[in-house]
Amino acid sequence: MPWDLDNDRPIYLQLMERIQHDIISGVYQPGDKLPSVRDLALEAAVNPNTMQKALSELERSGLVYSQRTSGRFITDDKALLRRMKRELAEEHIQQFFDQMHHLGFSDEDTLDMITEALKGEKQ
Amino acid sequence: MLGKLIKYDLKASAKLFILLHALFLAACIFCRMLFINRLDFIHSSEQSLVTAIAIITSLMIFLIVALNLGSWLLITFRFYRNLFSREGYLSWTLPVSGLQHLWSKIISGYMYMALSTVVIGAGVLILVSGRNVVEAYSTIEPEVTEELGMSISSFAVSLFLYSIFACISTVIMTYFCITVGQLFPGHRILCALAAYFITNLVVQFLSLFLAFAFGYSPGYSSAFISDGKPIAESIWGTITLSTFLMIILSILQYIITHIIIKKKVNLL
Amino acid sequence: MRSILECQGLTKKYGDFFALSNLTLTLERGQIIGLLGPNGSGKTTLIKLANGLLIPTDGHIMINGLAPCPDTKKIVSYLPDRSFLNERMRISEILTFYSDFYDNFSMERAEKMLDALEIDRCARLRTLSKGNKEKTHLALVMSRDADLYILDEPIGGVDPAARDYILQTILTNYNENATVLISTHLIADIESILDRVIFLQNGQLALNALVDEIRTQYGKSVDALFREVFKC
Repeated sequence: MPWDLDNDRPIYLQLMERIQHDIISGVYQPGDKLPSVRDLALEAAVNPNTMQKALSELERSGLVYSQRTSGRFITDDKALLRRMKRELAEEHIQQFFDQMHHLGFSDEDTLDMITEALKGEKQ
Repeated sequence: MLGKLIKYDLKASAKLFILLHALFLAACIFCRMLFINRLDFIHSSEQSLVTAIAIITSLMIFLIVALNLGSWLLITFRFYRNLFSREGYLSWTLPVSGLQHLWSKIISGYMYMALSTVVIGAGVLILVSGRNVVEAYSTIEPEVTEELGMSISSFAVSLFLYSIFACISTVIMTYFCITVGQLFPGHRILCALAAYFITNLVVQFLSLFLAFAFGYSPGYSSAFISDGKPIAESIWGTITLSTFLMIILSILQYIITHIIIKKKVNLL
Repeated sequence: MRSILECQGLTKKYGDFFALSNLTLTLERGQIIGLLGPNGSGKTTLIKLANGLLIPTDGHIMINGLAPCPDTKKIVSYLPDRSFLNERMRISEILTFYSDFYDNFSMERAEKMLDALEIDRCARLRTLSKGNKEKTHLALVMSRDADLYILDEPIGGVDPAARDYILQTILTNYNENATVLISTHLIADIESILDRVIFLQNGQLALNALVDEIRTQYGKSVDALFREVFKC
């Protein structure tokens, strides 16, 4: 299945986000080998050069590293992975609060609603 | 690469070509066995003999013309379709030059036309080689030989060789007309036909003109006979002239085709 | 190494109509490039000039530094916008034909693709369905190890499943140093596989940019930009 891509943002950014998400959420385990650029590009149905660029950017962020002959691997640095997971979570929370503000809820109201929603879920 | 092109050109029309020619030979054998072998030249009345021969001859001439036209249509369509129809998109993007295409078509086309002539020759031979025909002919042989200035078999062989040679000019003229036609993208086929008729007109005019200039007009052949000159002289004069004309025209047509193929091919 | 395709002042006139006028353009190796533009903008004319099917009225077009000739035809694999094979030929005969004429034709690759499509080698081309015919054409073109693939409207009028098949076939078979030039007016469908797009308008270059450059700069897809630029 081709990956779902938005129409208004650069494709390589969306590929980065998707792979980053897969790494953080554990689809790829720390130390795992990533598929080749070509295979990933085929899976996503995107241009191999674009995939290459996304992976190079991920390398710069330290999430993946490449070994000259054997390919690209997910970082072993668990602390880094935890930190990125945390950052991503914070990003989602921030977005959520922004939207609630937009709808006119204060932080307190929002928090109350969350607590209530959680209770409802437990019952 | 030229060899491969020729191979595919020959292959493309082979089935139909073989079928047509096999049918023709079968028709000749059929005609010989059922009709000619039964003709009795010595005891039949002149009237019935003439009628039978006239029917057979016109039938066979019709078949020969049809067969020749068939072979010609095969090479004409192959040339047009392969180079100037949608198939041209493949032909012109093969790693071969336009001239290789042209020569492949000339050689394969010539092979087919020459082969067709050989088969026609064989067919005629089948028709006239029966014992009754040979015997009947032997009674008038001296007269004919004198008129022709040679034996009829040498005459036939010469005519046959001339026909084989003339095939080359047919092939080149056909390709020339189609190639000229494609210079007018809106009306390729129409312009190819126009080129054909105009060329033919020019050839007719020139040969008539030359014939008069050299005094070989066929209309005057009776005059030559009364002069005691054999018909052969008049025929050979005409043939020599037309060969000469044919060579010049073929060379000219080839040069123009060559230039167009090299510089002016636009597939739309 | 020379760039794979270069046009300088390239002009093609049909009568009084300029199909291409004074086009200057360079295509680099190793890219998948979309050739976009409305009907009559000169896409097919450019493609035919690159393949030596048309002679330029003015200017030059060079493939790997050479004007179109047998040597450039060896390295260009071209999918015309129409059926270009003798339809009476059998599939097996067509395969032999390709390997006879193209040194870089990989029989193995072609066999693999045709097997996947379950195409009978003894069938004549004209007996195949329209979809299978188009796929067979593409399989033949993509089975060559070319330096430049030129695909004229490969996804015009096919259903989404066929379109995915075609895009996968292109991505699977081209090698990384080769350039693929795809002309289309259905941009949204192929945008994600392109490095770069070239917009033609009235026979002239309207835009030549990387897809992600366009998305960064305009904040919209190439498809949206295209509709804006060429709205009627």
